[in-house]
Amino acid sequence: MHMLKRPEAEVRALANALVAAKQQVGQCSQCFHLSAEPVCDICRSQARDPNTICVVAESRDVIALEKTREYKGKYHVLGGLISPMDGIGPEQLNVGQLIHRVNKEGTSEVILAISPSIEGDTTTLYVGQLLKPFTRVTRIAFGLPMGGDLEYADEVTLARALEGRRELDS
Amino acid sequence: MFLQHLHLQNFRNYSSQSVAFSAPKTILVGDNAQGKSNLLEAVEMLATLKSHRTSRDRDLVKEGANIGQIKAQLQRELGVSELSLTLKNAGRRTAVINGETLKRQQDFLGHLNAVQFSSLDIDLVRGGPGGRRIWIDTLLTQLEPVYAYILQQYNQVLKQRNAFIKQHTANADDLDDRIDTTLLTSQQQQITHHNQSDQIQLSQMPTQMAIWDAQLATTGTRVTRRRSRVLNRLIPLAQRWHQSISGDAEALTIAYQPNVALIADDPAIIQQSFLEKIQSRAIAEYHQRTSLVGPHRDDIDFVINQTPARQYGSQGQQRTLVLSLKLAELELIEAVIGEPPLLLLDDVLAELDLKRQNQLLETIQDRFQTIITTTHLGSFDAQWLKASQILTVDQGRLVASS
Ligand SMILES: Nc1ncnc2c1ncn2[C@@H]1O[C@H](COP(=O)(O)OP(=O)(O)OP(=O)(O)O)[C@@H](O)[C@H]1O
Ligand SMILES: [Mg+2]
Ligand SMILES: [Zn+2]
Repeated sequence: MHMLKRPEAEVRALANALVAAKQQVGQCSQCFHLSAEPVCDICRSQARDPNTICVVAESRDVIALEKTREYKGKYHVLGGLISPMDGIGPEQLNVGQLIHRVNKEGTSEVILAISPSIEGDTTTLYVGQLLKPFTRVTRIAFGLPMGGDLEYADEVTLARALEGRRELDS
Repeated sequence: MFLQHLHLQNFRNYSSQSVAFSAPKTILVGDNAQGKSNLLEAVEMLATLKSHRTSRDRDLVKEGANIGQIKAQLQRELGVSELSLTLKNAGRRTAVINGETLKRQQDFLGHLNAVQFSSLDIDLVRGGPGGRRIWIDTLLTQLEPVYAYILQQYNQVLKQRNAFIKQHTANADDLDDRIDTTLLTSQQQQITHHNQSDQIQLSQMPTQMAIWDAQLATTGTRVTRRRSRVLNRLIPLAQRWHQSISGDAEALTIAYQPNVALIADDPAIIQQSFLEKIQSRAIAEYHQRTSLVGPHRDDIDFVINQTPARQYGSQGQQRTLVLSLKLAELELIEAVIGEPPLLLLDDVLAELDLKRQNQLLETIQDRFQTIITTTHLGSFDAQWLKASQILTVDQGRLVASS
């Protein structure tokens, strides 16, 4: 709304800067987290457990989970949630890449950390069922407010949720 | 509970108007289109976070303004609370209770309770099932605020599932004899693919459709069970009122007609039968390209002496029925909440004959704070006019009448 009141040249400059930032930041080719490098710091880190992948909807969820300092595995960012109303199905998300990764890397556990909402639950169930033949799948038990975002959960809640994860039931 | 004070800021045709309620009964009198119903609508918003007249906040904000506000001071047994609801032409509402901005709007519900009764409520009997569902849902929301969340979840699943069905039937017209396998549940797929042994692999794949089915069944079962529960409590009260108003002559039956029958107490069993019904309607859903199973197709039947009330010619009988439902609502909310709710009577009192008017007024006495709108005071009993606070509504302004 503010934008509409600014001079056009200024808006254009801002738009260009945003596009440049997006091109510069880009995504990690393995986990799709925001990253300036082709492979992000987390994927490259030797200190992180490569046998566990935590699946989240957006990069901001990685940032929220990293703040807890509880989680020592790797991530996979889906890039959204299944939502037919918005024309988003599994094909529009990084789901195929996740299956491929789990198969290739022989991942021993996948933790689904997707905020509970209608679309979140559908995505969790869909991805969970796809992965179940290949690996152990758990989902984190959120103590999150109803319809709340992972981003807004405080660190203690998230840390507790990570400890309390449970097997995905069918 | 008692609404002590109300302030409307850029709400409908009110610019800035305060009202101090000083009697158990307040009568808003004025010509047509002056703002009487608008004021009741503001109270309705505080009680339900919804208006029965619009679903868009921008209709509620005064023309020419960007932000409207409803503020109230409410006396309850446990103390006085300040409620405020800010509505915007564009953007989210802000709900504040005692100075604290709520993270979830749903937490606003349950503070102020009100039963609304307007001349339009005759549509409960005469109109389609949609109005009856809204009626029971509104009551449920006040009795158990979490129901607002449950219903919203169901509606969201329904929208998503309908969008999914539409996308996967996009070419239905040219493919009439071929059924898109993504639409079938995994069980049906197994059958389909057994016949084409080269595709058996596919049957092990999860289908998005099956997940939407499961979500619809889970959330839909919650809705159905709660509707049934509240009706079970409401029906005997309504029957008793009906008997007392119509004078033993008539027998009222109210029957919940859930689209998915409540065959057991156990939600798991209901969900199962929900899924079975979805499967049995799969082909029809495919052709009609929409969800055909679930509580969005529920209805409530009203029957007087074995005849559907809708078909009764007598307006009087239909009015008696609606009045009985409203009195039952008042009684039920009071029983559940432990305090009498407000009663909002929009134009309706003048429509009732003297006997029914008295029945209503005897019931509410001074226990239920009542706000009444009317275009003229002529048809009211002089006795209780004297005991009422009378305010004249004139083009979005209130003036106390002496
Ligand atoms: N957003 C708005 N901004 C300004 N005026 C509005 C707005 N919405 C409704 N109005 C005005 O409010 C008036 C209707 O008010 P209301 O429905 O309260 O009438 P009423 O006093 O109940 O009349 P009746 O006796 O006909 O029921 C109309 O004049 C309408 O133009
Ligand atoms: Mg009116
Ligand atoms: Zn990475």
